[in-house]
Amino acid sequence: MLGRAIRSMDVMVHSSTFLLPKLHQPGHTPAKNYALVVLNQNLPRFMPRLWTHAKLRICADGGANRIFDEMFQLTNEQDYERVRNRYIPEIIEGDMDSIRPEVKRFYSSQGSQISDKSHNQETTDLHKCISRIHRSTSDHEKTNLCVLVTGALGGRFDHEAANINILYLFSDMRIVLLSDDCLIRLLPKTHKHDIYIESSVEGPHCGLFPVGAPSGSTTTTGLKWNLSEAKMRFGSMISTSNIVHAEKVTVQSDADLLWTISLRNLT
Amino acid sequence: MAPTPPVRPVMSHSSAFLLPSPPSSSAAPDGDGDAYALLVLNQRLPRFAPLLWDRARVRVCADGGANRLFDDMPELLPGQDPDEVRRRYKPDVIKGDLDSIRPEVKEYYSNMGTQIVDESHDQDTTDLHKCITFVTEKLAIPNRSNLCILVLGALGGRFDHEMGNINVLHLFPTNRIILLSDDCLIFLLPRTHTHNIHIESIEGPHCGLIPIGAPSTTTTTTGLRWNLGKPPTSSIQYQQQLVLNLQILSPDDTSMSFGGLISTSNIVEEESVTINSDSDLIWTISLRHHS
Repeated sequence: MLGRAIRSMDVMVHSSTFLLPKLHQPGHTPAKNYALVVLNQNLPRFMPRLWTHAKLRICADGGANRIFDEMFQLTNEQDYERVRNRYIPEIIEGDMDSIRPEVKRFYSSQGSQISDKSHNQETTDLHKCISRIHRSTSDHEKTNLCVLVTGALGGRFDHEAANINILYLFSDMRIVLLSDDCLIRLLPKTHKHDIYIESSVEGPHCGLFPVGAPSGSTTTTGLKWNLSEAKMRFGSMISTSNIVHAEKVTVQSDADLLWTISLRNLT
Repeated sequence: MAPTPPVRPVMSHSSAFLLPSPPSSSAAPDGDGDAYALLVLNQRLPRFAPLLWDRARVRVCADGGANRLFDDMPELLPGQDPDEVRRRYKPDVIKGDLDSIRPEVKEYYSNMGTQIVDESHDQDTTDLHKCITFVTEKLAIPNRSNLCILVLGALGGRFDHEMGNINVLHLFPTNRIILLSDDCLIFLLPRTHTHNIHIESIEGPHCGLIPIGAPSTTTTTTGLRWNLGKPPTSSIQYQQQLVLNLQILSPDDTSMSFGGLISTSNIVEEESVTINSDSDLIWTISLRHHS
Protein backbone atom coordinates (compact mmCIF):
# COMPACT_ATOMS: atom_id res chain seq x y z
CA MET A 1 0.00 0.00 0.00
CA LEU A 2 1.14 3.51 -0.62
CA GLY A 3 2.25 5.44 2.41
CA ARG A 4 0.22 8.52 3.16
CA ALA A 5 2.15 11.68 2.37
CA ILE A 6 2.73 13.66 5.54
CA ARG A 7 1.29 17.10 5.02
CA SER A 8 3.87 19.71 5.81
CA MET A 9 2.48 22.60 7.74
CA ASP A 10 3.07 26.16 6.75
CA VAL A 11 5.30 28.12 9.07
CA MET A 12 4.09 31.37 10.57
CA VAL A 13 6.90 33.73 11.49
CA HIS A 14 6.55 36.20 14.35
CA SER A 15 8.76 38.99 15.54
CA SER A 16 8.37 42.04 17.76
CA THR A 17 10.40 44.51 15.73
CA PHE A 18 7.62 47.04 16.27
CA LEU A 19 8.90 47.39 19.84
CA LEU A 20 12.25 48.68 18.64
CA PRO A 21 12.78 52.43 18.43
CA LYS A 22 13.34 52.11 14.68
CA LEU A 23 11.75 49.46 12.50
CA HIS A 24 14.36 47.34 10.79
CA GLN A 25 13.89 44.69 8.20
CA PRO A 26 15.03 41.34 9.61
CA GLY A 27 15.94 38.93 6.82
CA HIS A 28 13.62 36.20 8.00
CA THR A 29 10.38 38.13 7.96
CA PRO A 30 8.54 39.88 5.15
CA ALA A 31 7.86 43.60 5.48
CA LYS A 32 5.04 44.37 7.81
CA ASN A 33 2.50 47.13 7.85
CA TYR A 34 1.22 48.05 11.28
CA ALA A 35 -2.18 49.23 12.37
CA LEU A 36 -2.65 50.48 15.92
CA VAL A 37 -5.86 50.22 17.94
CA VAL A 38 -6.01 52.16 21.21
CA LEU A 39 -8.49 51.03 23.86
CA ASN A 40 -9.55 52.91 26.98
CA GLN A 41 -6.84 52.15 29.53
CA ASN A 42 -3.59 53.86 30.56
CA LEU A 43 -1.27 54.09 27.56
CA PRO A 44 1.83 51.90 27.76
CA ARG A 45 5.15 53.75 28.15
CA PHE A 46 6.28 52.87 24.61
CA MET A 47 3.16 54.22 22.87
CA PRO A 48 5.04 56.93 20.91
CA ARG A 49 7.14 54.39 19.02
CA LEU A 50 4.08 52.23 18.20
CA TRP A 51 2.30 55.32 16.90
CA THR A 52 5.23 56.20 14.67
CA HIS A 53 5.51 52.67 13.23
CA ALA A 54 1.79 52.38 12.43
CA LYS A 55 0.29 53.47 9.13
CA LEU A 56 -3.24 53.48 10.52
CA ARG A 57 -4.21 54.55 14.04
CA ILE A 58 -7.70 53.88 15.36
CA CYS A 59 -8.94 54.95 18.77
CA ALA A 60 -11.75 52.84 20.15
CA ASP A 61 -14.06 55.38 21.80
CA GLY A 62 -12.43 56.40 25.13
CA GLY A 63 -9.02 55.42 23.75
CA ALA A 64 -9.13 58.92 22.22
CA ASN A 65 -9.28 60.43 25.73
CA ARG A 66 -6.12 58.50 26.58
CA ILE A 67 -4.18 59.84 23.57
CA PHE A 68 -5.43 63.36 24.29
CA ASP A 69 -4.52 63.22 28.00
CA GLU A 70 -1.52 60.94 28.29
CA MET A 71 0.66 61.18 25.19
CA PHE A 72 2.48 64.31 26.33
CA GLN A 73 4.06 62.73 29.41
CA LEU A 74 5.31 59.83 27.28
CA THR A 75 7.34 62.07 24.99
CA ASN A 76 10.36 64.24 25.66
CA GLU A 77 8.61 67.26 24.24
CA GLN A 78 8.21 70.55 26.05
CA ASP A 79 5.36 71.88 23.95
CA TYR A 80 2.04 70.41 25.02
CA GLU A 81 0.10 71.67 22.03
CA ARG A 82 2.64 70.43 19.54
CA VAL A 83 2.35 66.92 20.97
CA ARG A 84 -1.41 67.10 20.90
CA ASN A 85 -1.41 68.20 17.27
CA ARG A 86 1.06 65.54 16.24
CA TYR A 87 -0.78 62.48 17.53
CA ILE A 88 -4.04 62.58 15.59
CA PRO A 89 -5.77 59.21 14.99
CA GLU A 90 -7.04 58.53 11.49
CA ILE A 91 -10.26 57.03 12.87
CA ILE A 92 -12.21 57.10 16.11
CA GLU A 93 -14.64 54.21 16.20
CA GLY A 94 -17.08 52.80 18.69
CA ASP A 95 -20.28 53.56 20.53
CA MET A 96 -19.01 56.98 21.67
CA ASP A 97 -20.22 56.70 25.23
CA SER A 98 -16.78 57.25 26.79
CA ILE A 99 -15.09 59.83 24.57
CA ARG A 100 -15.32 63.32 26.04
CA PRO A 101 -17.14 65.89 23.86
CA GLU A 102 -14.15 68.27 23.72
CA VAL A 103 -11.83 65.41 22.73
CA LYS A 104 -14.21 64.36 19.94
CA ARG A 105 -14.47 67.96 18.74
CA PHE A 106 -10.71 68.44 18.74
CA TYR A 107 -9.89 65.32 16.73
CA SER A 108 -12.79 65.90 14.37
CA SER A 109 -11.50 69.40 13.67
CA GLN A 110 -8.04 67.93 13.03
CA GLY A 111 -9.32 65.53 10.42
CA SER A 112 -10.02 62.29 12.33
CA GLN A 113 -12.88 60.31 10.89
CA ILE A 114 -15.50 59.83 13.60
CA SER A 115 -17.22 56.49 13.05
CA ASP A 116 -20.20 56.40 15.38
CA LYS A 117 -21.41 52.84 15.85
CA SER A 118 -23.65 53.42 18.88
CA HIS A 119 -26.55 51.71 17.11
CA ASN A 120 -24.59 48.47 17.29
CA GLN A 121 -24.65 47.19 20.84
CA GLU A 122 -23.88 43.61 19.88
CA THR A 123 -20.12 43.90 19.67
CA THR A 124 -17.37 45.45 21.75
CA ASP A 125 -15.45 48.50 20.60
CA LEU A 126 -12.39 46.35 19.84
CA HIS A 127 -14.52 44.01 17.76
CA LYS A 128 -15.80 46.98 15.72
CA CYS A 129 -12.27 48.26 15.13
CA ILE A 130 -10.86 44.88 14.12
CA SER A 131 -13.91 44.20 11.92
CA ARG A 132 -13.31 47.44 10.09
CA ILE A 133 -9.66 46.59 9.48
CA HIS A 134 -10.63 43.05 8.44
CA ARG A 135 -13.21 44.32 5.94
CA SER A 136 -10.95 46.89 4.36
CA THR A 137 -7.90 44.61 4.01
CA SER A 138 -7.49 42.16 1.14
CA ASP A 139 -6.34 38.60 1.89
CA HIS A 140 -2.97 39.37 0.42
CA GLU A 141 -2.59 42.53 2.49
CA LYS A 142 -3.57 40.58 5.60
CA THR A 143 -0.41 38.47 5.40
CA ASN A 144 1.68 41.62 5.67
CA LEU A 145 -0.46 43.39 8.24
CA CYS A 146 0.03 43.26 12.00
CA VAL A 147 -2.54 44.93 14.27
CA LEU A 148 -1.15 46.24 17.55
CA VAL A 149 -3.68 46.76 20.34
CA THR A 150 -3.08 48.66 23.57
CA GLY A 151 -5.36 48.71 26.62
CA ALA A 152 -6.91 45.28 26.01
CA LEU A 153 -5.52 43.64 29.17
CA GLY A 154 -6.17 44.34 32.83
CA GLY A 155 -9.22 46.22 34.04
CA ARG A 156 -12.52 44.33 33.96
CA PHE A 157 -11.92 40.62 33.46
CA ASP A 158 -14.89 40.10 31.14
CA HIS A 159 -13.50 42.84 28.85
CA GLU A 160 -10.10 41.15 28.88
CA ALA A 161 -11.67 37.78 28.01
CA ALA A 162 -13.70 39.36 25.18
CA ASN A 163 -10.55 41.02 23.84
CA ILE A 164 -8.64 37.74 23.93
CA ASN A 165 -11.56 36.11 22.12
CA ILE A 166 -11.03 38.63 19.28
CA LEU A 167 -7.70 36.88 18.57
CA TYR A 168 -9.65 33.62 18.06
CA LEU A 169 -12.53 35.19 16.12
CA PHE A 170 -10.13 36.88 13.68
CA SER A 171 -7.49 34.16 13.62
CA ASP A 172 -6.65 34.91 9.97
CA MET A 173 -5.17 38.24 11.12
CA ARG A 174 -2.03 38.93 13.10
CA ILE A 175 -3.13 40.77 16.22
CA VAL A 176 -0.89 41.52 19.19
CA LEU A 177 -2.29 42.66 22.55
CA LEU A 178 0.19 44.85 24.43
CA SER A 179 0.54 46.13 27.97
CA ASP A 180 3.44 47.68 29.88
CA ASP A 181 4.30 44.23 31.20
CA CYS A 182 3.85 41.83 28.31
CA LEU A 183 2.41 41.00 24.91
CA ILE A 184 0.05 38.23 23.81
CA ARG A 185 -0.40 36.56 20.42
CA LEU A 186 -2.50 33.66 19.21
CA LEU A 187 -0.57 30.73 17.69
CA PRO A 188 -3.18 28.97 15.51
CA LYS A 189 -2.94 25.18 15.43
CA THR A 190 -3.00 25.28 11.64
CA HIS A 191 0.62 26.42 11.50
CA LYS A 192 4.04 25.74 12.91
CA HIS A 193 5.39 28.85 14.58
CA ASP A 194 8.80 30.49 14.50
CA ILE A 195 8.99 33.25 17.10
CA TYR A 196 12.06 35.46 16.77
CA ILE A 197 12.97 37.05 20.08
CA GLU A 198 14.08 40.68 20.17
CA SER A 199 15.99 40.31 23.42
CA SER A 200 16.70 44.02 23.79
CA VAL A 201 12.99 44.68 24.26
CA GLU A 202 11.31 41.42 25.29
CA GLY A 203 11.80 38.43 27.56
CA PRO A 204 12.95 36.46 29.34
CA HIS A 205 9.66 35.38 30.94
CA CYS A 206 7.21 33.64 28.64
CA GLY A 207 4.33 31.18 28.58
CA LEU A 208 2.01 29.07 26.43
CA PHE A 209 -1.66 28.61 27.31
CA PRO A 210 -4.31 26.33 25.85
CA VAL A 211 -7.08 28.89 26.39
CA GLY A 212 -10.36 27.62 25.04
CA ALA A 213 -9.45 23.98 24.55
CA PRO A 214 -6.82 21.55 25.86
CA SER A 215 -3.78 20.48 23.87
CA GLY A 216 -3.02 16.79 23.40
CA SER A 217 0.42 17.42 21.98
CA THR A 218 2.63 20.51 22.01
CA THR A 219 6.31 20.61 21.10
CA THR A 220 8.65 23.55 21.54
CA THR A 221 12.29 24.49 21.06
CA GLY A 222 14.17 27.48 22.40
CA LEU A 223 12.68 27.53 25.90
CA LYS A 224 14.31 26.71 29.22
CA TRP A 225 11.62 24.11 29.86
CA ASN A 226 10.74 22.81 26.43
CA LEU A 227 7.66 20.73 25.77
CA SER A 228 7.89 17.46 23.93
CA GLU A 229 4.51 16.25 22.66
CA ALA A 230 3.21 17.45 26.00
CA LYS A 231 -0.41 17.61 27.06
CA MET A 232 -1.59 20.96 28.38
CA ARG A 233 -4.89 21.78 30.01
CA PHE A 234 -6.33 24.18 32.57
CA GLY A 235 -6.70 22.06 35.67
CA SER A 236 -3.46 20.34 34.85
CA MET A 237 -0.21 21.55 33.32
CA ILE A 238 0.16 24.88 31.46
CA SER A 239 3.45 26.57 30.66
CA THR A 240 3.88 29.64 32.88
CA SER A 241 7.04 31.42 34.08
CA ASN A 242 9.02 29.76 31.31
CA ILE A 243 12.19 31.42 30.03
CA VAL A 244 13.32 32.07 26.44
CA HIS A 245 16.71 30.49 25.94
CA ALA A 246 17.41 31.10 22.26
CA GLU A 247 17.02 33.73 19.57
CA LYS A 248 14.21 31.72 18.07
CA VAL A 249 11.44 29.80 19.79
CA THR A 250 9.45 27.25 17.80
CA VAL A 251 6.01 25.95 18.73
CA GLN A 252 3.90 23.24 17.17
CA SER A 253 0.61 22.16 18.69
CA ASP A 254 -2.66 20.38 18.00
CA ALA A 255 -4.47 23.22 19.78
CA ASP A 256 -4.66 27.00 19.41
CA LEU A 257 -2.29 28.45 22.00
CA LEU A 258 -1.77 31.88 23.47
CA TRP A 259 1.89 32.93 23.53
CA THR A 260 2.99 35.57 25.99
CA ILE A 261 6.35 37.18 26.64
CA SER A 262 7.32 39.82 29.18
CA LEU A 263 8.47 43.22 28.01
CA ARG A 264 11.63 44.85 29.24
CA ASN A 265 11.52 48.39 30.57
CA LEU A 266 11.06 50.33 27.35
CA THR A 267 11.25 54.09 27.54
CA MET B 1 -40.00 4.33 34.49
CA ALA B 2 -36.99 6.32 33.28
CA PRO B 3 -34.14 6.47 35.82
CA THR B 4 -33.81 9.76 37.67
CA PRO B 5 -30.81 11.76 36.55
CA PRO B 6 -28.08 12.10 39.21
CA VAL B 7 -28.74 14.93 41.62
CA ARG B 8 -26.27 17.80 41.36
CA PRO B 9 -25.15 19.34 44.62
CA VAL B 10 -25.70 23.07 44.95
CA MET B 11 -22.84 25.45 45.61
CA SER B 12 -23.85 28.84 47.01
CA HIS B 13 -21.74 31.94 46.57
CA SER B 14 -21.85 35.39 48.09
CA SER B 15 -19.53 38.37 48.25
CA ALA B 16 -20.86 39.54 51.60
CA PHE B 17 -17.25 39.82 52.79
CA LEU B 18 -17.00 43.01 50.72
CA LEU B 19 -19.84 44.72 52.56
CA PRO B 20 -18.84 47.51 54.95
CA SER B 21 -20.78 46.06 57.86
CA PRO B 22 -19.66 42.55 58.76
CA PRO B 23 -21.85 39.60 57.80
CA SER B 24 -23.67 38.48 60.94
CA SER B 25 -22.30 34.95 60.70
CA SER B 26 -18.76 36.12 61.39
CA ALA B 27 -19.72 37.45 64.82
CA ALA B 28 -19.25 34.05 66.46
CA PRO B 29 -15.57 33.01 66.29
CA ASP B 30 -16.35 29.34 65.90
CA GLY B 31 -19.69 29.88 64.27
CA ASP B 32 -21.04 28.34 61.13
CA GLY B 33 -20.17 31.32 58.99
CA ASP B 34 -17.41 31.49 56.46
CA ALA B 35 -13.82 31.77 57.64
CA TYR B 36 -11.64 33.93 55.40
CA ALA B 37 -7.99 33.60 54.54
CA LEU B 38 -6.41 36.55 52.74
CA LEU B 39 -3.53 36.10 50.32
CA VAL B 40 -1.61 39.11 49.03
CA LEU B 41 0.31 38.77 45.75
CA ASN B 42 2.72 41.24 44.20
CA GLN B 43 0.55 44.00 42.76
CA ARG B 44 -0.83 47.30 44.04
CA LEU B 45 -3.32 46.71 46.86
CA PRO B 46 -6.95 47.37 45.88
CA ARG B 47 -8.81 50.07 47.83
CA PHE B 48 -10.77 47.54 49.95
CA ALA B 49 -7.64 45.72 51.22
CA PRO B 50 -8.01 47.05 54.82
CA LEU B 51 -11.62 45.83 54.96
CA LEU B 52 -10.70 42.31 53.84
CA TRP B 53 -7.70 42.23 56.15
CA ASP B 54 -9.93 42.93 59.15
CA ARG B 55 -12.35 40.16 58.04
CA ALA B 56 -9.70 37.50 57.60
CA ARG B 57 -8.56 34.99 60.20
CA VAL B 58 -5.24 34.42 58.54
CA ARG B 59 -3.18 36.64 56.25
CA VAL B 60 -0.40 35.41 54.01
CA CYS B 61 1.85 37.43 51.72
CA ALA B 62 3.29 35.70 48.68
CA ASP B 63 6.85 37.02 48.38
CA GLY B 64 6.64 40.56 46.89
CA GLY B 65 3.10 40.89 48.22
CA ALA B 66 4.86 41.85 51.47
CA ASN B 67 6.39 44.88 49.72
CA ARG B 68 2.90 45.92 48.59
CA LEU B 69 1.51 45.54 52.07
CA PHE B 70 4.36 47.57 53.54
CA ASP B 71 4.11 50.37 50.93
CA ASP B 72 0.41 50.55 50.10
CA MET B 73 -1.50 49.89 53.34
CA PRO B 74 -0.51 53.24 54.94
CA GLU B 75 -1.64 54.98 51.72
CA LEU B 76 -5.04 53.31 51.93
CA LEU B 77 -5.44 54.60 55.49
CA PRO B 78 -4.21 58.16 55.08
CA GLY B 79 -5.58 59.51 58.34
CA GLN B 80 -3.46 57.15 60.42
CA ASP B 81 0.19 57.02 61.42
CA PRO B 82 2.07 54.87 58.85
CA ASP B 83 4.15 53.03 61.45
CA GLU B 84 1.05 52.22 63.44
CA VAL B 85 -0.66 50.94 60.26
CA ARG B 86 2.30 48.70 59.43
CA ARG B 87 2.35 47.28 62.95
CA ARG B 88 -1.35 46.55 62.86
CA TYR B 89 -1.41 45.07 59.36
CA LYS B 90 1.26 42.47 59.90
CA PRO B 91 0.97 39.19 57.95
CA ASP B 92 0.97 35.84 59.74
CA VAL B 93 3.17 34.25 57.08
CA ILE B 94 5.31 35.36 54.15
CA LYS B 95 5.84 32.52 51.73
CA GLY B 96 7.28 31.85 48.30
CA ASP B 97 10.65 31.90 46.62
CA LEU B 98 11.49 35.24 48.27
CA ASP B 99 13.22 36.74 45.23
CA SER B 100 11.01 39.85 45.14
CA ILE B 101 10.63 40.81 48.81
CA ARG B 102 12.91 43.70 49.76
CA PRO B 103 15.45 42.81 52.47
CA GLU B 104 14.31 45.60 54.80
CA VAL B 105 10.66 44.55 54.43
CA LYS B 106 11.55 40.92 55.21
CA GLU B 107 13.49 42.02 58.25
CA TYR B 108 10.71 44.32 59.46
CA TYR B 109 8.03 41.64 59.43
CA SER B 110 10.37 38.94 60.69
CA ASN B 111 11.21 41.08 63.72
CA MET B 112 7.51 41.49 64.36
CA GLY B 113 6.94 37.75 64.50
CA THR B 114 5.77 36.98 60.96
CA GLN B 115 6.71 33.46 59.92
CA ILE B 116 8.97 33.59 56.86
CA VAL B 117 8.83 30.41 54.78
CA ASP B 118 11.45 30.16 52.05
CA GLU B 119 10.36 27.87 49.23
CA SER B 120 12.89 28.82 46.60
CA HIS B 121 13.80 25.14 46.24
CA ASP B 122 10.37 24.49 44.73
CA GLN B 123 10.31 25.93 41.22
CA ASP B 124 7.45 23.72 40.02
CA THR B 125 4.56 25.63 41.51
CA THR B 126 3.61 29.29 41.50
CA ASP B 127 3.60 31.44 44.62
CA LEU B 128 -0.19 31.37 44.70
CA HIS B 129 -0.24 27.59 44.45
CA LYS B 130 2.18 27.34 47.39
CA CYS B 131 0.01 29.68 49.49
CA ILE B 132 -3.19 27.80 48.72
CA THR B 133 -1.57 24.49 49.65
CA PHE B 134 -0.30 26.04 52.85
CA VAL B 135 -3.67 27.49 53.84
CA THR B 136 -5.64 24.35 53.02
CA GLU B 137 -3.22 21.86 54.59
CA LYS B 138 -1.39 23.46 57.43
CA LEU B 139 -3.54 26.13 58.98
CA ALA B 140 -5.69 25.19 61.91
CA ILE B 141 -8.99 26.54 60.75
CA PRO B 142 -12.02 24.89 62.30
CA ASN B 143 -14.63 23.67 59.86
CA ARG B 144 -12.54 23.86 56.73
CA SER B 145 -15.56 23.47 54.48
CA ASN B 146 -16.42 27.08 55.29
CA LEU B 147 -12.97 28.33 54.35
CA CYS B 148 -13.01 31.00 51.66
CA ILE B 149 -9.66 32.17 50.30
CA LEU B 150 -9.55 35.77 49.10
CA VAL B 151 -6.64 36.68 46.83
CA LEU B 152 -5.40 40.18 46.03
CA GLY B 153 -3.02 40.96 43.18
CA ALA B 154 -3.67 37.84 41.07
CA LEU B 155 -5.11 39.67 38.05
CA GLY B 156 -3.40 42.09 35.67
CA GLY B 157 0.35 42.49 35.43
CA ARG B 158 2.29 39.76 33.64
CA PHE B 159 -0.12 37.61 31.66
CA ASP B 160 1.66 34.33 32.40
CA HIS B 161 1.24 35.03 36.12
CA GLU B 162 -2.46 35.75 35.62
CA MET B 163 -2.91 32.50 33.65
CA GLY B 164 -1.01 30.57 36.30
CA ASN B 165 -3.30 32.06 38.96
CA ILE B 166 -6.42 31.15 36.98
CA ASN B 167 -5.02 27.64 36.59
CA VAL B 168 -4.77 27.43 40.40
CA LEU B 169 -8.56 27.93 40.52
CA HIS B 170 -8.92 24.91 38.21
CA LEU B 171 -6.40 22.87 40.23
CA PHE B 172 -8.36 23.41 43.47
CA PRO B 173 -11.97 23.17 42.23
CA THR B 174 -13.42 22.10 45.58
CA ASN B 175 -11.91 25.08 47.43
CA ARG B 176 -13.55 28.48 47.43
CA ILE B 177 -10.92 30.82 46.03
CA ILE B 178 -11.80 34.32 44.85
CA LEU B 179 -9.42 36.56 42.89
CA LEU B 180 -10.09 40.26 43.45
CA SER B 181 -8.99 43.50 41.85
CA ASP B 182 -10.23 47.09 42.12
CA ASP B 183 -12.45 46.48 39.09
CA CYS B 184 -13.86 42.98 39.50
CA LEU B 185 -13.71 39.57 41.10
CA ILE B 186 -13.51 36.12 39.56
CA PHE B 187 -13.99 32.56 40.80
CA LEU B 188 -14.42 29.09 39.36
CA LEU B 189 -17.82 27.43 38.90
CA PRO B 190 -16.93 23.72 38.79
CA ARG B 191 -19.06 21.71 36.39
CA THR B 192 -19.91 19.21 39.12
CA HIS B 193 -22.32 21.62 40.82
CA THR B 194 -25.36 23.78 40.27
CA HIS B 195 -24.37 27.30 41.27
CA ASN B 196 -26.40 29.86 43.14
CA ILE B 197 -24.74 33.28 43.25
CA HIS B 198 -26.25 35.85 45.59
CA ILE B 199 -25.55 39.33 44.22
CA GLU B 200 -24.55 41.94 46.79
CA SER B 201 -25.03 45.70 46.52
CA ILE B 202 -21.29 46.34 46.08
CA GLU B 203 -21.02 44.29 42.93
CA GLY B 204 -22.38 44.38 39.40
CA PRO B 205 -23.99 45.07 37.14
CA HIS B 206 -21.43 43.87 34.58
CA CYS B 207 -20.70 40.17 34.61
CA GLY B 208 -19.52 37.30 32.44
CA LEU B 209 -19.08 33.55 32.12
CA ILE B 210 -15.86 32.38 30.52
CA PRO B 211 -15.00 28.80 29.46
CA ILE B 212 -11.24 29.20 29.81
CA GLY B 213 -10.09 25.60 29.75
CA ALA B 214 -12.53 23.87 27.47
CA PRO B 215 -15.67 24.66 25.49
CA SER B 216 -19.06 24.26 27.11
CA THR B 217 -21.82 22.54 25.15
CA THR B 218 -24.60 23.06 27.66
CA THR B 219 -24.87 26.06 29.94
CA THR B 220 -28.09 27.34 31.45
CA THR B 221 -28.47 30.47 33.53
CA THR B 222 -31.13 32.56 35.24
CA GLY B 223 -30.95 36.06 36.62
CA LEU B 224 -28.94 37.65 33.80
CA ARG B 225 -30.10 40.08 31.15
CA TRP B 226 -28.92 37.67 28.44
CA ASN B 227 -29.48 34.24 29.90
CA LEU B 228 -27.97 31.14 28.35
CA GLY B 229 -29.96 28.07 27.59
CA LYS B 230 -33.58 27.42 26.84
CA PRO B 231 -35.90 29.97 28.43
CA PRO B 232 -38.22 28.39 31.01
CA THR B 233 -41.67 27.49 29.76
CA SER B 234 -42.91 28.70 33.08
CA SER B 235 -40.95 30.25 35.87
CA ILE B 236 -42.42 27.91 38.47
CA GLN B 237 -41.62 24.82 36.44
CA TYR B 238 -38.05 26.01 36.02
CA GLN B 239 -37.62 26.79 39.70
CA GLN B 240 -38.94 23.35 40.54
CA GLN B 241 -36.43 21.81 38.21
CA LEU B 242 -33.60 23.70 39.85
CA VAL B 243 -34.75 22.76 43.32
CA LEU B 244 -34.73 19.10 42.31
CA ASN B 245 -31.26 19.64 40.78
CA LEU B 246 -32.18 17.85 37.62
CA GLN B 247 -29.71 18.28 34.86
CA ILE B 248 -31.34 20.58 32.36
CA LEU B 249 -30.60 19.33 28.89
CA SER B 250 -32.10 20.98 25.93
CA PRO B 251 -31.17 21.29 22.29
CA ASP B 252 -31.39 25.07 22.70
CA ASP B 253 -28.80 25.28 25.48
CA THR B 254 -26.15 27.67 24.42
CA SER B 255 -22.67 26.40 23.83
CA MET B 256 -19.74 28.66 24.62
CA SER B 257 -16.16 28.60 23.41
CA PHE B 258 -13.23 30.79 22.50
CA GLY B 259 -13.57 31.39 18.81
CA GLY B 260 -17.32 31.45 19.32
CA LEU B 261 -19.68 32.88 21.90
CA ILE B 262 -18.51 33.68 25.40
CA SER B 263 -20.67 35.61 27.82
CA THR B 264 -19.11 39.02 28.47
CA SER B 265 -20.61 42.46 29.20
CA ASN B 266 -23.64 40.64 30.54
CA ILE B 267 -25.76 42.30 33.24
CA VAL B 268 -27.09 40.87 36.50
CA GLU B 269 -30.79 41.57 36.71
CA GLU B 270 -31.88 39.66 39.78
CA GLU B 271 -30.64 39.23 43.33
CA SER B 272 -29.69 35.68 42.59
CA VAL B 273 -28.04 34.18 39.54
CA THR B 274 -28.06 30.44 38.87
CA ILE B 275 -25.70 28.61 36.56
CA ASN B 276 -25.57 25.02 35.36
CA SER B 277 -22.92 23.91 32.92
CA ASP B 278 -21.22 20.82 31.54
CA SER B 279 -17.89 22.64 31.69
CA ASP B 280 -15.89 24.49 34.34
CA LEU B 281 -16.61 28.20 33.94
CA ILE B 282 -15.01 31.33 35.30
CA TRP B 283 -17.62 33.72 36.73
CA THR B 284 -16.70 37.39 36.83
CA ILE B 285 -18.58 40.41 38.15
CA SER B 286 -17.59 44.07 38.30
CA LEU B 287 -17.16 45.82 41.63
CA ARG B 288 -18.85 49.16 42.22
CA HIS B 289 -16.61 52.06 43.02
CA HIS B 290 -17.54 53.93 46.17
CA SER B 291 -18.18 57.65 45.85
